[in-house]
Amino acid sequence: MSDSQIIVGLEIGTSKVCVAVGEVSENQVVNIIGIGQAKSRGVRKGEIIDVTLAEEDVRNAIVEAEQVADVEVRSVFLGVTGSHVRGFNNTGVHPVVSADREITGADIQDVIKNAKAINLPTDHSVVHVIRQHFRVDGQDGVLNPEGMLGAKVEVDVHVVSGRYNRLQNPIRLVNGLHLEVDNISSSALASSLAILGTEQKELGTLVIDLGAGVTEYAVYSAGVIKHTGVLAVGGDHVSNDLAYGLKVPLARAEQIKIDHGSAVIDPEARDRKIDLSDDSLIPGRQINLGHMQKIMSMRLQETLELIAKDIGQAGLIEYLRAGVVLCGGGARIPHITRLARDVFKLPVAIGRASTVSGVKNALDEPEFATPVGLIKFGAFQSQATPRRGGIGRVIRRQVAALFGR
Amino acid sequence: MSNPDEQTVGANPTIRLIGLGETGVKLVETLAMIAPEGVEADSMDTDNRSLSRCHQSRTFLLGQAIPCGLGTGGDSALARAAVESDNDELTEIVRGTDLVFVVAGMGGGTGTGAAPFLANLAKEAGALVVGVAATPFECEGIQRCNQATGGLRDLKQVADVVFHFPNQDVILMEGPDIALHQALEIANRHLCEAVLGVSRMLLEPGMLNVSFADLQASVRDRHSLGSVVHVEASGEDRADDAVRKLLAHPAARGGETLKEASSLLVHLSGGDVTMAEMNAVTSAISNRSSSAKLVVGVSGQGREAALQLTVVIAHAGKLAGADQGSDQPKPNPTGQASDLGYSDSFIVPDTGSYLDLGKETDGKNRGGFAYTPPAPTADALTPECREDLIRVAAKEEPNRTKRRKIVQELLPLEIVSKGRFEKSEPTIHKGEDLDQPTYIRRGAVLN
Repeated sequence: MSDSQIIVGLEIGTSKVCVAVGEVSENQVVNIIGIGQAKSRGVRKGEIIDVTLAEEDVRNAIVEAEQVADVEVRSVFLGVTGSHVRGFNNTGVHPVVSADREITGADIQDVIKNAKAINLPTDHSVVHVIRQHFRVDGQDGVLNPEGMLGAKVEVDVHVVSGRYNRLQNPIRLVNGLHLEVDNISSSALASSLAILGTEQKELGTLVIDLGAGVTEYAVYSAGVIKHTGVLAVGGDHVSNDLAYGLKVPLARAEQIKIDHGSAVIDPEARDRKIDLSDDSLIPGRQINLGHMQKIMSMRLQETLELIAKDIGQAGLIEYLRAGVVLCGGGARIPHITRLARDVFKLPVAIGRASTVSGVKNALDEPEFATPVGLIKFGAFQSQATPRRGGIGRVIRRQVAALFGR
Repeated sequence: MSNPDEQTVGANPTIRLIGLGETGVKLVETLAMIAPEGVEADSMDTDNRSLSRCHQSRTFLLGQAIPCGLGTGGDSALARAAVESDNDELTEIVRGTDLVFVVAGMGGGTGTGAAPFLANLAKEAGALVVGVAATPFECEGIQRCNQATGGLRDLKQVADVVFHFPNQDVILMEGPDIALHQALEIANRHLCEAVLGVSRMLLEPGMLNVSFADLQASVRDRHSLGSVVHVEASGEDRADDAVRKLLAHPAARGGETLKEASSLLVHLSGGDVTMAEMNAVTSAISNRSSSAKLVVGVSGQGREAALQLTVVIAHAGKLAGADQGSDQPKPNPTGQASDLGYSDSFIVPDTGSYLDLGKETDGKNRGGFAYTPPAPTADALTPECREDLIRVAAKEEPNRTKRRKIVQELLPLEIVSKGRFEKSEPTIHKGEDLDQPTYIRRGAVLN
């Protein structure tokens, strides 16, 4: 234990609260040693709507994870999401002033500082500033300009920001449980960290986390994050559509979705009926499987099309040479890969947390991508040298300021 | 009846403006002065007096035998009888035309009665028929308004598309304190702009052309109410200005009509239209109507400083004959043109007396005319009857062409209900509430 470090990832999701406990050894190998989850009741569209319920669910999940992993959780890396979280790219410029034109560490600090100077609405705060590439005198694709010669150094960054108050809600909740928040990360980023290998990031991949409340996506190309986005539409919407369209209670719609759901319309199912007689109030009630699949497929297709359109507008669809990777609970919907393949016209796979080792169960399930990714995020953070620690330092400072630490 | 394919051999489509009734004649007379080259204008009326004031257009007196050039005095049935007696001459006039604008003021006698008949003649001659109709102010009396509504409906059922401008909109735009002559002038200007905008779009040589075929594809056999919005802007940011004016136009209803449109023809005319301007206009329009088919045209290189933006908004409507199990033969080679899609209640099978006047067909087309019940007299107007009429009038809104709109109106409670997302912050994406089931927003039918 002395050489390894315990990192805990917490995702307060719309359908479930999930805690993953990871052990990071000295040589940065991540090993998942425990998972805890609880059904989430106080969250809608990725954001807390009932603090009391959410707090109880988080406590249950943490207790379970502590028991499985046999550790005491003191601090967590928290995943944040919601329709208010948005990502955009920004550039920072800095002239090199030293006489010999050598770029020093201080210059790099300065150029990143400039890139962070973003004109945000007053109620927004920055979640991440992720470095993409440096440019030295217009020479593109420089990974580390320190020691190079140049007159002007520029850096491209991807900034994720959200509304300050709404970002604080889950942080306050966790603090209320006497846990510390080490850092927060956007769930899209965390999921992509969990399931993408270096090669996929280099080739260019789109990660879509089909959650219950929100659908998040992130585009990697040439090894760096190019684009992130959140769409406040998810599995709950599918259930809600079904409940409305088939005129069944929401819980029943949820069950129908799990039992008979499909992302594409199966021509054979068009006239098949499902019997609801077992627990319906009206005995002998039947619903048409074709209708159900149509409602579901239209919603899922629309969601994916909105993402495709957004990425198309960002001009990134051509860069996705490694295709699309799906994760989150929505990735379990039968034939979802076929639908996504039709929408994006790219190869599509279900994401697995292949870049970590540990509890088998956790790694095979696409819905654990975010908590597992949070552990990886935490591992990166803690291994970071002081200079690299710039990522997310803003938020850490904010958290510290708020609670006087 | 001529084959439409033989007519469209020339470089430019032949466009004919036909004004009917006093309003129509006035409008066509104005249009004839300013219309681009290659647009022919005809004025037709049952009243000799109004025709005697025409100098720019060719005149034609309707019903020499019946009202004898004295006007119809608001009797649309008389007007129809008059126009039917001139069937052969009128067929000759509309023959060989690609696009016929039937310009009429609804509510009076000649415009209301003759426009649907003439539109049908033009349609049978193979032309694309665009109705341009003004409807009276509400204060002109309920009878006139009802007659206008009926005339508009009849015109819509025969014309491919009707561009409708209610005079009442002027009051909405300018406030009730406007002088009457100014109000009429504004109303007339809107109608003229509609016609001119479309003519210019089709005739002006440009770098990007909106062709006659584009217009045809978006409006033929739709039988719906469409709108033309024509705005002009000049100065530094003329593109943004034009978009602002476009959205402020009453026919655009703040962008609502754009959203409901099935296809949009956008035409920019002006000196040195830059890519940025074009982009500003098209993106502003397409952002508001993601599903509509968009055709963009640009013309007028280095000519004027002002930017003229014309947008033809066409609604999907129902294709004639598509859902009316029609047992009538289809004499028109284009198939559906004369199948008017009337519901049975409007067809009076055995009372074809004046309907068949001067019409040497074998009677197969008899179903092709609407029976407009005589407008009730003021003292016969019971409260129930009045409500019925108001309901009929309300149905004539352009947005009725969207099927799901009707569903929304019928079941407001269901649509408002968003289930579990009722209380949460709505997820609005480009004006669409994503919390509502997709299949409802897309209008999918579960059957």
